[in-house]
Amino acid sequence: MRFDHFEQLLRYWADERPDAPALRYETRVLSFSQLRDAVEKRAEELRASGKSCLGLLSDGSMDCVIELFAANLAGMQLVMLDENAPSVLLRQLLAYTDIDTLWGDVDLVEELSPFLTPGVTDGKGKILFFTSGTTERAKAVVLTDHSLCQSAFNGSAKLPLSPSDTLLCLLPLGHVFGFVCGLLWGLSCGACVALGRGTRHYIDDCAFYRPTALSAVPLLLGFLMKQRLLNPELKLILVGAGDCPPALLQSAAAMGIRVSFGYGLTETSSGVAISVQGDPYAMEICPDDTITLAEDGEILIQAPTCMMQGYYKRPESTAEVLIDGVFHTGDLGRFDEEGKLHITGRKKDMLVLPDGTKIFLPEYEAAIAKLLGNPELAVVLGDSRPLLIYCGEADEQEISRKLLPLMTELPRGQRLGGVKIVQEPLPRTATGKIKRWELQQKGWQA
Amino acid sequence: MTRAEVLEQIRTTVYNCYPDMDGQKLEEDTVINTETAIDSMGFILIICKLEALFGVKIPERQWAKLSTVGDVADAILKRLPKE
Repeated sequence: MRFDHFEQLLRYWADERPDAPALRYETRVLSFSQLRDAVEKRAEELRASGKSCLGLLSDGSMDCVIELFAANLAGMQLVMLDENAPSVLLRQLLAYTDIDTLWGDVDLVEELSPFLTPGVTDGKGKILFFTSGTTERAKAVVLTDHSLCQSAFNGSAKLPLSPSDTLLCLLPLGHVFGFVCGLLWGLSCGACVALGRGTRHYIDDCAFYRPTALSAVPLLLGFLMKQRLLNPELKLILVGAGDCPPALLQSAAAMGIRVSFGYGLTETSSGVAISVQGDPYAMEICPDDTITLAEDGEILIQAPTCMMQGYYKRPESTAEVLIDGVFHTGDLGRFDEEGKLHITGRKKDMLVLPDGTKIFLPEYEAAIAKLLGNPELAVVLGDSRPLLIYCGEADEQEISRKLLPLMTELPRGQRLGGVKIVQEPLPRTATGKIKRWELQQKGWQA
Repeated sequence: MTRAEVLEQIRTTVYNCYPDMDGQKLEEDTVINTETAIDSMGFILIICKLEALFGVKIPERQWAKLSTVGDVADAILKRLPKE
């Protein structure tokens, strides 16, 4: 089903399948009609509050989902925040995105309340997600409930779920892949969405909810498979937001699970291409999207229904990547003889980690170089983790300890997974830029 | 329970989860991310097993601050019932 807005989606399924389960969280179940009623009731309260911009410190719970839909119905701007981000960063993001009210952990809300702003006047329908979201360079991508609904439609047109399916939502809702492919994909199809019970339940959520479909980032899928945590009822896994090793996809397929791989960006409201059958890396373009390749192989996307409005308060950054309605991804690709898209590499100075997050390398390396007093270093991916290549005489353990204050400020997945000392100079271009592709090809192990 | 006993239980749990690391030194000041093979998902697994073992719950918001093996021991000791 294609919906224009969240309100339409909620009302449609509440009318069509009022008693069918829409959401499950722990032992609590909410039917579609109960979900609609709860959202509309909460939207009334939010309207009465007079607030205009809600910062959602998302914990992925049922109340969190009700709150996000209610804020949208109430005409508020909604900002998706990571409740585990450092307080100092959250304060900066509050100011940047004009948040005037918060939802989330009571203690954290109280801690952040002194930093609330006067709000906005033009936020209706806007939903802000952060990309490369852990530094002060973090940009908020302005999406809308309309663009997110179209993205969910695009996905479900390629990979439909049935109302009898249960989709397990394990990924954070503050990540657009988790939001669209963990939540909206299921609800758009009238399926039940089982909300993951938090990080510590990664180990038993599959056994608890017995889902038939799951969306996952490569790191999470690898963990679930290695620990043998997938349930036998599971028949479809959508993997996205990062490079996925072939062995992982093959192992899942060997278990009789259909695995699809998706490609998309926060700026395009999630997926624009999905593999449906056969080679999981050969992706079909979603119905509303047009993908072309630049002369150098860069993937260019036209997604009129799903494209971001821009980066919040960053018109110059928007203009760099969104040119005449075409989004310049910085990713490299090729089309096969059947017209399917394959991702072949990255043009940007960006590391995309298996947990779906991104590291902007020049900034990351500059912070490391400042602490170590040596600019001759680079960060590559080794064993799926960020690995520091340090050029010069040094001790690995000593470097690790010197970097501890910096690493502690980063999400665990973005911290260095190891240090390699090398003596030969780093490969560089004539202008002094690191030849990242050449460096990465050396097959580093953390 | 003493700090040394907690540290020993942490080592045992890590070696059980990561058999390849058995024998590798895990000192109080060992930095988990850069000096071991434990990635972010492995860290979650180990913390969950330690929480179950010691009957404590470390708030998820605190997990990011646990950088060294000693930090994990402190977080557990702080939450153990006083003997």
